[in-house]
Amino acid sequence: MPAWRWLRFPQGASLRRIAPWLLVLLALLAVRLSKGAVLADAYAFLSRPFWPGTAQAEWLRSARRVEDGARLAQLERDNQRLRTLLELQEQNPSRVTAPVISREGAGWWQQALLGQGSLSGIRAGQAVLGPGGLVGLVGSVTPTTATVTLLTDPRSRVGVWVGRTQHHGLLSGVGTARPLLRFLEKDPQARPGDVVVTSPASTLVPPNLPVGVIQTVDANADPAPEAVVQLIAPLSALDWVQVQVR
Amino acid sequence: MDLLTRQPRLAATALLVPLLVLASPGWLRLDGVGPCWAVLWLLPWALSDGPFSGACAGLGLGLLMDALHPGGVTQVPALLLLGWWWGRMGRRAPPIQRSFSLGLLALLGTALLGLTLTLQWGVLDWFGAREALQQGGAVTGRNLVDQGVNPALLALPGWRWDDLAGAGFQVLLAQTLLTALLAPMLCSLQLLFWRQMGAGWRR
Repeated sequence: MPAWRWLRFPQGASLRRIAPWLLVLLALLAVRLSKGAVLADAYAFLSRPFWPGTAQAEWLRSARRVEDGARLAQLERDNQRLRTLLELQEQNPSRVTAPVISREGAGWWQQALLGQGSLSGIRAGQAVLGPGGLVGLVGSVTPTTATVTLLTDPRSRVGVWVGRTQHHGLLSGVGTARPLLRFLEKDPQARPGDVVVTSPASTLVPPNLPVGVIQTVDANADPAPEAVVQLIAPLSALDWVQVQVR
Repeated sequence: MDLLTRQPRLAATALLVPLLVLASPGWLRLDGVGPCWAVLWLLPWALSDGPFSGACAGLGLGLLMDALHPGGVTQVPALLLLGWWWGRMGRRAPPIQRSFSLGLLALLGTALLGLTLTLQWGVLDWFGAREALQQGGAVTGRNLVDQGVNPALLALPGWRWDDLAGAGFQVLLAQTLLTALLAPMLCSLQLLFWRQMGAGWRR
């Protein structure tokens, strides 16, 4: 048997024997070249029942909430400190929590009746805050009740600004669930989605409280450009509110 | 006049009206607007007790309702007129017992009440706008580009004409329809009650 016999091309039978192994080798090569695509996908497919479920997502969300709350408190303290340094607001704002005992969310008058009045230090003109920001201003008080003129009432006028463009306007109720923001500038540059907050220049309301989100903008309205604002606070479902007493 | 003179305590049931306005349940609302409880109470009272008593009740109710709702408008004239008109109708016309006519009267009354409110707001808006224009000059059209916006015009509180034409019309329609729908049910019971009471003292 000559020495080069081992170099000769394998016979049909042995080729058929090693063919599966060659295929396996090719497959492994493909896996290697594709950076483990099949492996990772197979792992994902097999481990899907054991993926972190809703409970884990909830833990993460609650951790996120705690973090956000802590950051918010910290930022508020910081903001308060800076405002005190600037002598913008010397007095410490204190709030009275009051239940909403009657609601008229639609109709000729849009107002809410609170179960706390002048005995708790509430006075006419003070800002009323609900979950989601400003709700309205106190219109009148009795010893144990206070009437809140909601932001949707046509008698309500609150100075606000669009935080992104820093353009001022008046938030005016028009009797529907969505008040109108009438800008004081000719070119407000507002877009749908912009957040509306109370004006830092206003003396009636605490500054920079969130109020609503702009839905549509009509730049050619008369006498001023206007935007329809969706309020953040659900006015028709208020049960407890806070009155900012000075 | 029988009820008011002989049993003035019954007039105290009018105090239920402001309480019902405050505690109007959410399911008894059409488009968020509650019924006009003042009309629902005044209609049977005036029908069974005559024009003078109806007008007195209308005046009292109007004062109560104005106390609940701040603003420069009043419901007194409309309720006064309605009380007097319904009182005359109860005296002069044949007895009104059919539910349909009660509903129709409540419909007309609520519409009238809403229209007087609309008119008052419209007049207030017109005077306010004129005053603001005098202060800041006419700011419309080309002037808007030149001078900017007149803040006095924007800061006017209250219903404006375009609000009244939009949301105001909706409120008027919803309240009128709801009151007219409730009147046959509630007013006929009250009418029965008042008439029985009145007859009881006449005996």
